[in-house]
Amino acid sequence: MTTLAKPRLRFSLDTVSNYAVIIAFAVVVVIFSLTADGFLTGSNLMNLISNKVVLLAIIALGMTIVIGAGGIDLSVGVSIDLSSMIFIMMIAAGYAGFFAIMGGLAAAFCVGLANAILINKLKINPFLATLGVLFIGQSIQRLSTQGGVPIYLTRAEYAAPFDAIARTNLAGVPAPIIVMILCIIAVYLALHRSVFGRYVAALGAQAEVARYSGIRVAFNLSVVFIACAVLSGITGILLSSTVRSYVPFAGDAFLLDAIGATFIGTAISAERRPSVIGTLLGVLLLAVMRNGLLLIGWNFFWQQVGIGVLVFLVLGLSFGLKKRSE
Amino acid sequence: MTAAIEMRGITKTFGPVKALTDATLVVQPGTIHGLIGANGAGKSTIIKILAGIYARTSGTVTVMGKEMGVITPATIEAEGVHFIHQDRLLVPTATVAEAIFLRNEPRFGPFISYRQMNRQASELLRQYFDMELDPRTLISDLSTAQQKIVQITRALANKAKVLVLDEPTAALVKKEVDNLFVVLRRLKAEGRAIVFISHYMAEIEEICDVVTVLRNGSDVGVVTPADVGIAKIVEMMTNRDASEMYPRREPVIGKPALSVRNLTVAGAFQDVSFDLYEGEILGITGLLGSGDKDLLKALFGQVTPDSGEIMLNGKTVHFRTPVQAVRNGVAKIPEDRRAHGVATGLSVGENISLASLDQMSSRGFVQRDAEARNVDALIAELGIKTPGRHTLVKNLSGGNQQKVVVAKWLSCNSQVYLLDEPTVAVDVGAKVEIYNLMNRLALEGKALIFLSSDLEEITEMCDRTLVIYRGEIIAEYQRGEIDANRLLAVASGAALNQKETA
Amino acid sequence: MSALSNVKGPKSTRAGSKTLAKLAIRLGAFVAFAGILVYFAMTARGFTSPYNLMTVVEQSAILGLLAFGMTIVFAGTGTDVQRGGIDLSLAANAGLCAAVYAVMMREGYGNGLAIPAALITGMVVGLLNGIAVVSLRIIPLLGTLAVMNIAAGLELTLTENTVVSVSTPLMQVIAFGKFMGISTLAWCLIVVSMLLVWVMHFHRIGMRVYAVGGHHEAARAAGIDTGRYIYGAYIFAGFLAGVTSILIVSRLSSSTPGTGLMLLPILAAALLGTVFSRRFIPTIGGTLLAALFIGFLANGFQLLGISSYWVAGVQGALILLVVAVTSFAKNN
Repeated sequence: MTTLAKPRLRFSLDTVSNYAVIIAFAVVVVIFSLTADGFLTGSNLMNLISNKVVLLAIIALGMTIVIGAGGIDLSVGVSIDLSSMIFIMMIAAGYAGFFAIMGGLAAAFCVGLANAILINKLKINPFLATLGVLFIGQSIQRLSTQGGVPIYLTRAEYAAPFDAIARTNLAGVPAPIIVMILCIIAVYLALHRSVFGRYVAALGAQAEVARYSGIRVAFNLSVVFIACAVLSGITGILLSSTVRSYVPFAGDAFLLDAIGATFIGTAISAERRPSVIGTLLGVLLLAVMRNGLLLIGWNFFWQQVGIGVLVFLVLGLSFGLKKRSE
Repeated sequence: MTAAIEMRGITKTFGPVKALTDATLVVQPGTIHGLIGANGAGKSTIIKILAGIYARTSGTVTVMGKEMGVITPATIEAEGVHFIHQDRLLVPTATVAEAIFLRNEPRFGPFISYRQMNRQASELLRQYFDMELDPRTLISDLSTAQQKIVQITRALANKAKVLVLDEPTAALVKKEVDNLFVVLRRLKAEGRAIVFISHYMAEIEEICDVVTVLRNGSDVGVVTPADVGIAKIVEMMTNRDASEMYPRREPVIGKPALSVRNLTVAGAFQDVSFDLYEGEILGITGLLGSGDKDLLKALFGQVTPDSGEIMLNGKTVHFRTPVQAVRNGVAKIPEDRRAHGVATGLSVGENISLASLDQMSSRGFVQRDAEARNVDALIAELGIKTPGRHTLVKNLSGGNQQKVVVAKWLSCNSQVYLLDEPTVAVDVGAKVEIYNLMNRLALEGKALIFLSSDLEEITEMCDRTLVIYRGEIIAEYQRGEIDANRLLAVASGAALNQKETA
Repeated sequence: MSALSNVKGPKSTRAGSKTLAKLAIRLGAFVAFAGILVYFAMTARGFTSPYNLMTVVEQSAILGLLAFGMTIVFAGTGTDVQRGGIDLSLAANAGLCAAVYAVMMREGYGNGLAIPAALITGMVVGLLNGIAVVSLRIIPLLGTLAVMNIAAGLELTLTENTVVSVSTPLMQVIAFGKFMGISTLAWCLIVVSMLLVWVMHFHRIGMRVYAVGGHHEAARAAGIDTGRYIYGAYIFAGFLAGVTSILIVSRLSSSTPGTGLMLLPILAAALLGTVFSRRFIPTIGGTLLAALFIGFLANGFQLLGISSYWVAGVQGALILLVVAVTSFAKNN
């Protein structure tokens, strides 16, 4: 009798654990549609995407690549901030927008390269390597800004490059959203369609198997960390071009949400693998939570508690039930 | 007399796989009880059930007349049953004394008395092993043999009534084995029961009073080795007509595929030379630590040789990483399949194409149709039992996982196959399939090196066998020149002198 | 027999040089620590004055106590921060406890209620970590991250992101009191260090915690209920966060937002501390030294007029150096 009953129970637990994110997302959307006035309006959803989703989505895509390869990147904030800093400083120095963007991305690339060298050459595990880079990045920012003084470029003389960026749009869709969509497509193709994506999956599943299969582990890991840093760099430029300023340490705020979104996203696949779709779902879940809680009148502090509890519950459902049923 | 251990009707299933069926093990106090069986016969499963690591599916366990319900490591240890596991379960950052007295620490008031602990540890080591070892040495700094001794000492410090030793002599040198046997006999005389699990038949014959033979998850007999002799016990273990177990093949030997000249890795093996031909299965066997595994590592670019030469198809190659070995057509089927062979979290298809994606992609993108065709063809060709290429490898049986590893290498057209214990921990049916697979590879003209500690499969499957002993190749036999028992004698060094005179 | 010595020979010398390398690193850490102190003593005016030394110890007390919590979590779950355990919620937890204490004092509940409330808050947060990691088996990095968010959010909710000022006689004693010429904060660090050295290094509890963290399977095979010890480590870390929160409020006469930012220095102290141990494991003594070292470093920079902006970078570089060197020593 017990042998009959067990698989059925296992099936239902597995189902719940695999769909935990989607169920949570649906529940959250339904609740807010009913309780929060104006939640389901077009203007609110547009605001949601351009203010809450775009930046987090791009960083979370980078984090998805890194976590997919079995690592973690705590230094995304440094990539964001340094790229933003160089970008703003170059514009202030009179460089054209294009060169300023390239300069910012180059700064982010260097952060990724530093991570890659620490991990591959010095064999430091990704958590500690990127933690070290995070500390060093903070010092660099303090030293370059007299301890963290923001740089504002709101005066008219600096307006030209920003206006050019702001004017850029495609059939009315603003540039940041286009950039996000391009990033999503690029990362989707890289992770789910390309040879590189397979290597990433193999590194994440079992790095030793990848090594035994003749895959260049160090090279691929370097690409992974550089890709994450450059995506963060793109975010930094988007961030500073919308607010026309560089605020030191602004990027740190994204780290935990990016990690959270990626791991929430892993819950939608049976094998708990990070995926682009899952991560986007995680980003949306977090964004909808913040937006909805705001609309029903919770202040920022309670939003954070609410999101923490939600993430805890989703992870508990997805990990706890999964492991229990095995 | 109450039996020290009485396990009856033990059954254990892992998903669809039945590891034990109605197995019985009865051990009397004051005896050394051998537990033997081929790989996959269920030895380690029954021991792990007794140790509380696996829960039994059904059956009863009685220790000193006391029936045990659910067994946990703590409850079984409380009954005085101690285990010396094959994988040395010791905390690497602890000292010798801490490891011995873990959970039984001598105290001085509210403090652990390190002085007393170190003194008692020294005394125990001296008393039982006649060994001077600083009790403050870290476990991670000890040799394998010393770690085994620490584990046994821990059991003795806890006043073990029953001692279960899983392959205790693996990686020990002869003198250490002799010392161990002296200790075991003394413990037996003190009235303790000892369960002794070993692959080494000579040791079983030397030390065991009684032997339980397991085959395919059931016990097939309890015998006294002194009465029936080793040959009879081996027959009980396998109970197979060799021709039925090992598929035949008419070897077609081609030109040399791999030549090794004077290869040396310091501390592992020295001055190794041999040729491997296309279409040949070359067996290599040796005791644990003889250097056989290091040789495979050197051939696969995992360690860099200190001197000597490796030639593939007549061209000298220098492998510094497995990447180079794989690109030159060398494939390795590693012993630890789950750690190195297959990524169990990836699908069958992803695993099969992992090493050959370059051939199935254009501009960096995977051509999924070509990949699917290739993968499906290999699944069909090798008869991999899977619902489809999208199934995760972790849901496959051990034998089928091994086939996935082989399919991975076939997919990238490897020519030289290094097989490291490919039949470990797969059931008998899957073994036969792996043997068939090896024969197929050989008939297709691939060159195979087959490393195994199961000497019977070596003698039955290989066209030629090299015996490696303490880092040197000491003998070479053609098929049919030697049987398993004699090979064991040669490999263990016991027949070294005889061989040289022969 | 000659074959035997052939095989064994290289291995034993290799083991010898390995021990030597380990010794060199450990001594190197002490020498580097001492060297930097001597350098400061010679170049930084006033560095060696009793007043300055005492200030550094006081400043290090809060970091040290929290780092002890992290040390105990590391001891019970291993230092492989990605797969093993970590408590990312520790600093946020201390912030929450400080908020609970300060707000309760402001509302007039008094120390008799406010102190137990702060301690219980800390332990409940620790319990949540335990549930996440042991019972729900969420990866520690993730589980404690979620708990950190909850704790930080609750802190902000309680204080509404403002400074909650409180002042009581007890807090005056903690902040400014002296006993035998040593300030209360320093006493706290000394007493807690001694207690923890006893529990972690001279009591069977500590030995078992280290066994669980050192080799989970081996500890289980030895009959240790590993789950209970990991729960215990997280709850005790939470308790320490509660204790520290009272010191934080006393020192600042208020609960101030931003305690959560101490997470990185806490991690740095606990990880740096491992080089002072012969086994390269986190120890109470090692963490204490590392916390003091970080304190002296910041202080020395200040006295030498070097910009404090360098401090984070130097800490980061130190972590990288330490980890690279220890992994080199372990593998070689």
